[in-house]
Amino acid sequence: MLKRTLASSGAAVFAVVAAIASAHAEDAYVIGVTGALTGPSSSTNGPPIEGLRLYVDRLNASGGINSKKIQLSILDDQAEPSKAAANAKRLLTQDNVSLLILSSLSSTYAPVVAESKRANVPLMFMGAVCPKEVYPPAEALQFCTTAYAGGYDSRATLAFVKATAKEPVKLGLVAMAIPLSRGEIDYAEQHAKTMAMTTVDKEVIPPPTPDYTPFATKLKDANVTWVFSWAPWVTEVKTFEALRRLGWQDNYIAWSHIEAESELARLKDNKLYVIGANSLFQDRLPVHAEIADAVKKANVRYPAEQMTEGWIGGLVLEAALKKVGWPADAGKMRTALESVSVDTKGLRGGPLQWSKDNHFRTRQYYRVYRWDDAKSAIVQAQDWTPYDVQ
Amino acid sequence: MQLIVNIIVLAAMYALLACGYVLIYRVSRVMNMAHGELSMLGAYLLFATATLFAHHPVSAIAVAVLMSILAGVLVYVMLMRRMTGEMVLAAILTTIAIGILLRGLIVLIWSAAQQHPLQSLGFTNPSLEVFGGARISTCAALIVLMNVLVYGSLFAFLRFGRWGVRMRAAGQNPLLAAQRGINLHAIYALAWALSTLTGSIAGMLIALDSGLDQSMVVIGLKAFAPALVGGLDSLLGALVGALIVASAEVLAIHYVDPLLSDVVPFLVLIAMLTVRPWGLFGTREELDRV
Repeated sequence: MLKRTLASSGAAVFAVVAAIASAHAEDAYVIGVTGALTGPSSSTNGPPIEGLRLYVDRLNASGGINSKKIQLSILDDQAEPSKAAANAKRLLTQDNVSLLILSSLSSTYAPVVAESKRANVPLMFMGAVCPKEVYPPAEALQFCTTAYAGGYDSRATLAFVKATAKEPVKLGLVAMAIPLSRGEIDYAEQHAKTMAMTTVDKEVIPPPTPDYTPFATKLKDANVTWVFSWAPWVTEVKTFEALRRLGWQDNYIAWSHIEAESELARLKDNKLYVIGANSLFQDRLPVHAEIADAVKKANVRYPAEQMTEGWIGGLVLEAALKKVGWPADAGKMRTALESVSVDTKGLRGGPLQWSKDNHFRTRQYYRVYRWDDAKSAIVQAQDWTPYDVQ
Repeated sequence: MQLIVNIIVLAAMYALLACGYVLIYRVSRVMNMAHGELSMLGAYLLFATATLFAHHPVSAIAVAVLMSILAGVLVYVMLMRRMTGEMVLAAILTTIAIGILLRGLIVLIWSAAQQHPLQSLGFTNPSLEVFGGARISTCAALIVLMNVLVYGSLFAFLRFGRWGVRMRAAGQNPLLAAQRGINLHAIYALAWALSTLTGSIAGMLIALDSGLDQSMVVIGLKAFAPALVGGLDSLLGALVGALIVASAEVLAIHYVDPLLSDVVPFLVLIAMLTVRPWGLFGTREELDRV
């Protein structure tokens, strides 16, 4: 009797909780997020999700969009394809999300894209490298807010190297042994030829490497005068530090990942450049102060300068939801995303605009930063340089 | 010359990590698959104490070392002790579970962001010129020196120390050792403490040299290959195995293809398992028990 009473009480409580949750979800925009909150790539993919959450919390605190709250359903995939697929399936079939957001390693893309296509729900890459399907002519369901841009990044970097170098460049290239990084560095090698630069060494470094010195030794022995690295930050910075420990004193340029700003300040090296599409907090824009304030209030574990990618994701989500109206569905969301135009408030060099054929952005801007010993601060080495995305 | 220095440094990293695998296996026949995570935990403990004792680096290091020893003892007392008398496989699976638990806890406590305990301790890591123009970082040199110290101490302890002799006895014949009045649980707890200590020292020094993140787990796992190549129950084997694997890895990076660096330790391991499955200095009957 007691057992039966307990069981029925439990069932009743469960039903009430489920009903409350369901009622809450029915009265809110439900957005699904799968990302590497833990696991080896979580230092890169975790902060953008945190930044998005911060932005959405602020929106909800100020009344939401169209008087409706936004409910983020966030699941951890640990950068494992099978977990990402299971997350996507759950978000699409159980939570009925109108938009799926992905912040994880590229190895998780294929299963999540497949689930998104099956459910006909748009998928937005945020804080994870943009796949080629978002470039013109874009796949109907895929969108990307992330700063990285395969091909354009190498073109902008090599153009900067060419403009800055005072003598013929002996180029060294560094990639991590993952498909996207290798692909970009292979592209850079080809593009360098068209710019009359000699690539004297290319190192493709496996991810779990205990000591980067053997790779750096090869670069140093090849007498490189510039090194360009487009890889996860850990590979970029550890190769640089190993080169410096070997006494190499030339120039190193790396993609400006979310860790770049604090790392430039830590390393204090005049010849370490970072090139990226996001402004750094040292620019002290009002939006930077806004983000820093939100981070402080929410007691976030990551520093404010790592929130930019997630904040931009939030700006895009806000703009899209305003267009979608109420109630939201995947079809309306897709149509809204196709014409999004967002003022990034200086976080990027210009607005983030999408069209029916271009789900990356119509124009990509790059800025280069480095440490300046004389000023004891991070300075701009080159201001925003635009590239039209064809 | 730089190549030789690179080999010595990598071998030192592997050897310091590998001796932890050997210590536990030699005494209790358990392959500790959480050794990488325990090494990483030691490094994170140093990061935590470095932040806590901001202007007292010596205190920070001492407390981190003590906490690492305690962590090893706690793992044995709270979990592995219950595996006594169970199948070896059950004990190995328990270590895998401990590893998963530690990985999750570390992310929850310290986040996944890369950390720099060297900076928190207020130390620098200048490059030193050694012979023939070759260079080595101060922390890498410390890893090499620490190997000499750790292996020297362990050899002396196991050969001449009362508890060291007891550890050897427990490893060779636990039943007879127990009948002679040796407290097996104390011996096993000591083995876990020493193993975690050496692993943590390796983790701390690698973190001081090149930063701290989740990839340290994989480095710990890679050090399993040198331990097997040398023979799982031989400390000398761990040293020689580390040297062989590190040489193969560095030479493959330099002369063949950098991508091979990830594969080479395991190629050497497969070659060794084919020719001499019990490892260079391992004993044959030990392997039969595995």
